[in-house]
Amino acid sequence: MAMIIDKETLEHVASLARLEITPEEEGPLLGDLERILGYVAQLSSVDTSAIVSKRPAMTELRPDEPSAGLTREAGLGGAPAMRDAFVVVRNVMGGEDE
Amino acid sequence: MSSELPRTLKQYRHAVRAHELSAEEYLDETRQLIERGDPQVKAFLHLRLDAARSDAQAADPSSPLAGAPIAVKDNIMMAGERCTCGSRILEHYVAPYSATAVRSLLAAGAVVPGKTNLDEFAMGSSTENSAFFPTHNPTDLTRVPGGSSGGSTAAVAAGFALGAIGSDTGGSVRQPAAFCGVVGFKPTYGLVSRYGLVAFGSSLDCIGPIARSVRDAAIMMNVMAAHDPKDATSVKRPHVDFEAALQPTLAGKRVGIIRELQGLDVQPEIAAAMETARKAAVKSGASIVDVRVPHILSALPAYYIIAPAECSANLGRFDGVRYGLHVDGRDMTETYSRTRNAGFGTEVKRRILIGAFVLSAGYYDAYYKKASSVRQLITDELDAALQSADVLLTPTTPTTAFRLGAVTDALEMYKADVFTIPANLAGVPAISFPAGKDAAGLPIGLQLMGPRWSDAELLSSANVFFTALGGES
Amino acid sequence: MTTTIGLEIHVQLATQTKMFCGCSTAFGDEPNTHVCPVCLGLPGALPTLNAQAVRLATRIATALGCTVHEVSEFSRKNYFYPDLPKSYQITQFDRPIATGGSLPIVTERGARSVRLTRAHIEEDAGKSMHAADITLGGETLVDFNRCGMPLIEIVTEPDMQSGDEAYEFLRNLRRLVRWLGVSSGDMEKGAMRCDVNVSVSPDPAKRGTKVEIKNLNSFRSVKRAIDYEEQRQAQCLTDCTPIMTETRHFDEVQGTTTSMRSKEASNDYRYFPEPDLPLLQLDPTELESVRTQMPELPWEVQSRFERDLGLSPYDAALLTEERSTAEFFQQTIALYDNPKKVASYMGTEVARLLNERGKTLTETQLTPVALAGLLTMVEDNAISNTASKDVLPLLVDTGTTPMEAVRSLGLEQVSDTSALEGFAREVIAENTTQVDQFRNGKEAVLAFLVGQLMKKSKGKANPKLAGDTLRRLLK
Ligand SMILES: [Mg+2]
Ligand SMILES: [Zn+2]
Repeated sequence: MAMIIDKETLEHVASLARLEITPEEEGPLLGDLERILGYVAQLSSVDTSAIVSKRPAMTELRPDEPSAGLTREAGLGGAPAMRDAFVVVRNVMGGEDE
Repeated sequence: MSSELPRTLKQYRHAVRAHELSAEEYLDETRQLIERGDPQVKAFLHLRLDAARSDAQAADPSSPLAGAPIAVKDNIMMAGERCTCGSRILEHYVAPYSATAVRSLLAAGAVVPGKTNLDEFAMGSSTENSAFFPTHNPTDLTRVPGGSSGGSTAAVAAGFALGAIGSDTGGSVRQPAAFCGVVGFKPTYGLVSRYGLVAFGSSLDCIGPIARSVRDAAIMMNVMAAHDPKDATSVKRPHVDFEAALQPTLAGKRVGIIRELQGLDVQPEIAAAMETARKAAVKSGASIVDVRVPHILSALPAYYIIAPAECSANLGRFDGVRYGLHVDGRDMTETYSRTRNAGFGTEVKRRILIGAFVLSAGYYDAYYKKASSVRQLITDELDAALQSADVLLTPTTPTTAFRLGAVTDALEMYKADVFTIPANLAGVPAISFPAGKDAAGLPIGLQLMGPRWSDAELLSSANVFFTALGGES
Repeated sequence: MTTTIGLEIHVQLATQTKMFCGCSTAFGDEPNTHVCPVCLGLPGALPTLNAQAVRLATRIATALGCTVHEVSEFSRKNYFYPDLPKSYQITQFDRPIATGGSLPIVTERGARSVRLTRAHIEEDAGKSMHAADITLGGETLVDFNRCGMPLIEIVTEPDMQSGDEAYEFLRNLRRLVRWLGVSSGDMEKGAMRCDVNVSVSPDPAKRGTKVEIKNLNSFRSVKRAIDYEEQRQAQCLTDCTPIMTETRHFDEVQGTTTSMRSKEASNDYRYFPEPDLPLLQLDPTELESVRTQMPELPWEVQSRFERDLGLSPYDAALLTEERSTAEFFQQTIALYDNPKKVASYMGTEVARLLNERGKTLTETQLTPVALAGLLTMVEDNAISNTASKDVLPLLVDTGTTPMEAVRSLGLEQVSDTSALEGFAREVIAENTTQVDQFRNGKEAVLAFLVGQLMKKSKGKANPKLAGDTLRRLLK
């Protein structure tokens, strides 16, 4: 039977999720995921062709009125690194940017 | 004095209002119980007994909760207190704001003795996935209390609090309530604000009360059920007095038994408890009806796609940039993965990976989209079933509390959620109430589900079952 | 070679608060001071949708002729970046608030219409400052004040063919959003940003490889980047070097684009419906009233000015740059019915003063009544055209009436015949040579004599009456 998830896919998904998988973790993890994904894949046999999504709609929107937020200290006091008023991280120039 | 300590919130409130007991006195008794019992049970991740005592002193005896100790699961924010979610990644995190539900409880006079243990980010059914330590079942310390709200249920069962709040994404309030012999209620999705509950599966998560009686759960619901403009999924509804809605009988009610769940393998004592409950229902004036929910067994696989998908996005914010654990790397990509790798436990990583997989290009339609359609299908079927029955009666769990370390296989653990998950997918209210004990003396829990927004009626029905089976009114 | 250009424009909606929280949208405050649990992505925080952002989005989409959908849906776009606190952006994906629509542009190819694919609402990320911007030694500084700003993203069809057309599109879109009060359109403050897709193909029937350009901080940059990219891709085609599907970064200083990263599989955003926000449902009666209450759009006003009032395209464009200017103009011509005169006066004298003062028309004291009054006085010969230029600054700065201003400056024209006759007699007496020349039939000399008279009157003489008086006395 064809595998649902192979090593490459697992690595790809792990990189999307910014998780590092150690070589020791990889084997057992692949086994678990294969079994879980195989189990949930049973849904493919359910006929959902006639199903109409009935997500509800928002009943009220927020009025455009400013409300008190957090001070920098309360909101970012626990940040691992700050410089002056800014949060500092490793340089991400040239990385993924929107 | 210990001998006459009130067992329930109702009794407590009465005693305080009659000046037979003060909130501080009760808290001091509670402290003793905690100090004596919690080193074994390990229900709490952090205690705040001194602060709770001054809160109790200040509590207004005429307020709805009159200074009663109510424990809070450690994935619900309480300003100034740590909120770890049972995870290394938030080990030292202090909440800068309070969840709406916590604010409501405090405003109603509750005092919080501490924050309770849970499976990391509420992912698990035994509280063994806590990054810090497992909680033990007060009935039998060698057994799990269930999960993920195992700390909250154990605290209530052990007398460390008169009530507690937990979060229920796939049964995390009801299943541990069943294992610990207390009441656990998952309200209709949208009835209690999720603001300040650290999200796991946002479309499934509900904050719910854990209590020693159904009435106590109703008393807590009176405090927590309110529309919250901070939660767009919270719904504005006419005010309901859940306690006042409690009726003494099931006269005229139709109790549905779901045919598709009949063939499932459950512990014989639990099957027997179902039988006892049926008889009690008939005796109380209810009729038993056979209902069909053809795709109910697809709820479990649908859940294990949707919940991980949502969790994979929800847990992305734990990236070591603004708060929480930070492990430096050579660049941001490495910093992220080192932080998250060090911060998350195995089960959390497993679910994040499943979630990222089912949402990723090429798999989305077959997994996430399919699961969403199946979810709608099950919802439609449950809604229909709840037209021909007023409530649906099922076991809460296939077995009673298992031994710590006994279940190591993830999929096997997942499958035990079969009875509780449908209510989360459909957003309907569901309650687990104690219904006797098995041969080993372990509590058995049964579940009632009702139509969306029938929370008051559901609590009322559950109260009749609960009292008929020996519970305190 | 055929160039095909599509644009993705982010327009910041002019609200008081952010898209999903009550934090202020004020620009330029201390870093990380407009923050709260929601926009910092703190555990447990939940988004709540800004009603005004929805209103503004509906308005601009309606003006663009989009189909505004009664039901739309928010989705999560997942990616990790330090200025994206939740690790996902709340945006719209499968079901945007609007689809279709178009925006007219006038280019060398004539008047055309650029079709729109869609418009959706979303939140902005925070602001990152990289080592390239400031000397930081390999660090990035993040300010979350901008995080959660309400945006509408407008995506065009690949309907443009040159940098000029893209420039025109942006110019007209900015005029529209400002006209409707939907956005300040201020690129410097990040209220309008644009990504460009450019592809060059030797075969007009076939589309070339799509290259995306980011970091475009002005309309001019957009044009420059496209011009450069057009040339670069054409060169690649000539040299037979492959053109990569990629994102390129525009270097403002060099005027060139450089490769940022290739668009490979890592861009898997794992979109899924945002469970924290139920569907957005618009009230059909409100939608209808947005439609019926839509003001005349700038390009409609512009062509009406040309067609019905005979204004030059230049004047018509100038007067419709801002809605307040067009309204000012229309109120003025209602009082002084000479559109061309008003247009030219506004385009020259008024524009010059505004420019000097660095103000917009609405920021001054000038009113349509005052301007119409001033122009009427010139027409009635109550003051000279030259004198009007001295009066205008008073109207602009103090808001006084033209009558008052003229009086206070002592600029009333001398139309009194006896006074003019006095000056005329003096001029005739002092310029006998020219007087003789005139009498001998040299008509042109009259202008000189009028000039002399004007000098004597210190410019206050009504020039036409001065000429008439001289002519009469010289007979
Ligand atoms: Mg966008
Ligand atoms: Zn905010």
